[in-house]
Amino acid sequence: MHKQVQKKEINNVESISSDRFERMQRRTLIHLAMEAKKTLDEIRNHLPAHPEAMEYFYERCKLFYDYEYGNDLWQGEKLVAYTCIHVPEELVRAAGAIPVRICSGAYSADQIGAEFLPAKSCPIMKSTAGMAFLRLFRPYGEVVMMVIPTTCDQKTKFNEIAGEFRDDLYILELPPSKESEESRVYWQRVIKRFAKDLEKKTGQRITRRRLKAAMKTQLAAQSAFREFYQIRKDPDPLIWGTDSILALNIYFLDDPENWTSAMKMLIKELLIRKEKKTFLATRRSPRILLTGTPLIFPNIKLSFLIEQLGGIIVADETCSSNRLIYDMAAFDEGFLFDMVPAIADRYLKPCTCPNFTPDTDRERKILEMIKAFSIDGVIYQFYAGCVLYEMAVRRMGIMLEERGIPMLYVETDYSPDDIGQLSTRIEAFLESIKAKKRGKRIRRLTAKSKLKNQRLTMEDYHVFCRVGHWLYRHQDLFGG
Amino acid sequence: MKSFRRRINNVNLNRFRSLFQIGAFLILVYGGYYLGLELGRGLPIMTCLYNHHLYGSGGCFFGYFQRLLTLPWPFYLTTPWGKKNLIMFLVFLMWFLFFNKAWCGYMCPLGTIQDWISKLRQILRVRYSSYTARQHTILKTIKYFLLVCSLLAPMAIFNSFFGLPKLPIVWECPFCEICPGRKIILLFIGELSEWHINFVCTDTIVLTSLGIWFTALFLIGGFFKKRFFCLFCPMNALHHLFTRLAFLKLYKDGSKCTRCGNCYRVCDAEILEVADDVESRYIVNDRCSMCFKCVAACPEEDCLKVTFLGFPIFNSTEEGFIRRQNIMLGYPPKKRMACINKFKKKK
Repeated sequence: MHKQVQKKEINNVESISSDRFERMQRRTLIHLAMEAKKTLDEIRNHLPAHPEAMEYFYERCKLFYDYEYGNDLWQGEKLVAYTCIHVPEELVRAAGAIPVRICSGAYSADQIGAEFLPAKSCPIMKSTAGMAFLRLFRPYGEVVMMVIPTTCDQKTKFNEIAGEFRDDLYILELPPSKESEESRVYWQRVIKRFAKDLEKKTGQRITRRRLKAAMKTQLAAQSAFREFYQIRKDPDPLIWGTDSILALNIYFLDDPENWTSAMKMLIKELLIRKEKKTFLATRRSPRILLTGTPLIFPNIKLSFLIEQLGGIIVADETCSSNRLIYDMAAFDEGFLFDMVPAIADRYLKPCTCPNFTPDTDRERKILEMIKAFSIDGVIYQFYAGCVLYEMAVRRMGIMLEERGIPMLYVETDYSPDDIGQLSTRIEAFLESIKAKKRGKRIRRLTAKSKLKNQRLTMEDYHVFCRVGHWLYRHQDLFGG
Repeated sequence: MKSFRRRINNVNLNRFRSLFQIGAFLILVYGGYYLGLELGRGLPIMTCLYNHHLYGSGGCFFGYFQRLLTLPWPFYLTTPWGKKNLIMFLVFLMWFLFFNKAWCGYMCPLGTIQDWISKLRQILRVRYSSYTARQHTILKTIKYFLLVCSLLAPMAIFNSFFGLPKLPIVWECPFCEICPGRKIILLFIGELSEWHINFVCTDTIVLTSLGIWFTALFLIGGFFKKRFFCLFCPMNALHHLFTRLAFLKLYKDGSKCTRCGNCYRVCDAEILEVADDVESRYIVNDRCSMCFKCVAACPEEDCLKVTFLGFPIFNSTEEGFIRRQNIMLGYPPKKRMACINKFKKKK
């Protein structure tokens, strides 16, 4: 396993000897594999009744940690590694490279990243930095470019920090706000330049036909995803939220065509389940919307915890799962001059990343999701160090409180230390929702029985008399 | 009913619209002569009055209205002429109320010609140009200016405004003199006589040469900008005064909107409100020609809705969007081959 890791790439950091570098690489890989296997086993053993089609996704989880797996898939390909969801995948595919999202959820790489970043920075960034430094993501292909959009402060500054050990960095300048027309035009120009630079790096020109083919692949994946999204609206829960988060996580690294066909299989199975009425839980179990910082395999402890304690995550609003390929681009004229800006718009305008200000789109989206998925409670997680999501908590809390929807905000990180404390809080939250739901049901039932036993009272009689009298007095109005 | 609704929502709107436009063009421009159709002069579209005498089946109300207004003040209310004005206006309103601004998007021959010019531009692979929202607000004033001027000028022939001198009779229909539709639609029936400058007096020289300029602008502007003339069309301004009363309506459910801007991208009139406004429900603004391309490009379920008297006709759906987008991106080679094989077998 370790031999496969490329040795020819020499780290540029002088303070770390190549010997130590290799040891770190080896150690992290082992830890990563252990961590991932543990998470997978937990999910598979502790949550019952997984769909059979999920097996593909469990298998594909190996892409995150097993570097012998997927050897044939990526050999000799050019890879464009990127973070965040603002990098246009269609353009990368049209330029003959393979987009690979490298946002990492590995706790084992967290400590290595901490060497370069401040201790208080967010674990996603630290973990990604660690993986980037050790060159542990997809070592088979040739990474021609590592694209980091200037989303949050940490990603922005990471561009400078990572310059220490990587020379293939590309800064994608994202505007801090998306409201004005100027920001739209600015972003379109950034994307145009990005397309040109991609062409230079990969040596493949982006043509109209290639871009259309790439968009087509994307659209197929998107349509499968949308179908999946609609199925989860069903009042009876059909799939675990943890499973769906995992399945969508696989899209980071998987071949989109394989992913789409696997997704379609999953949808088919879920529809059969719906027909046979084999549900995971009753309608009384709390339906949870998970939002906030992204959950990336192997760190999906929070969703696992929620579902183990009796909640069902029917929807999530995170950039690692539901927000990933939700938005679809449309264009008017099938030429590059219209398609490239259309793609640029698709990655900017509907994006609900909190790094944009104002963040009202995200609030509207969450409200709409609460309505569509009939959500009982919202769990808002943010990693220690993610200031953006933490800053948005207050507004979100006020907004949800006005509408009478309970919200629990959870601060956590990649370490498994806080599971005990988290489970107490989450359990209490879920219990309160359950009690509330039970109360609602009792009230509904009593209201029904009242209706049945209704008799006319003296009060009703008086009202009738009054109406009759009024009609008598004003009979000329009705032609009497 | 459900499957029927689904089929309508899945329609390939661009193809439907271009076919509909061709049909409407043929009927309006040639229908009078070949089919014996007579739709009157109250149509709320730019189908030329001068063609109505010859081949056309209907006349432009705006042109006719200018002529009707050529009366002295006392005649407006009491006399049969005044009554006729009112009746003609009601006829116009009746036509308009049924289809709202969809007259522009689906019926107007001048609009259709502009769409054809845009198709030509696409064939030549020239990029379309666009204006910013600010520029549009400035350009908007032009059409209201044209509307007011071309309705006031015929009134000033028999009457005097604020003691100003009366205008000569050549100002009877000032907009017709400068309208590019008169010159271009008549080309379709082989009539070249409208391409002239009238040297009767200075006023006619000015008006007719302006007309030539406008036509040139129509052709050049229409080539680079989608629906260029519609930005200045006074009929469009007249429509906008009554658009809220009409039966056909375009509604938006702001809570479902993700502001992805797909609608704005496909919009010929570059209406930003349709994408960015999540508050108001009725989003037809004065540039809108109700082509419903935005509805076809919206991937959110029931976010944009076309209704007729409250009855939904065409909704935006996910399935419809994906279908249309697949058509835009072209079938994959395998499926294309399957289609060809099927066709061969039939033969």
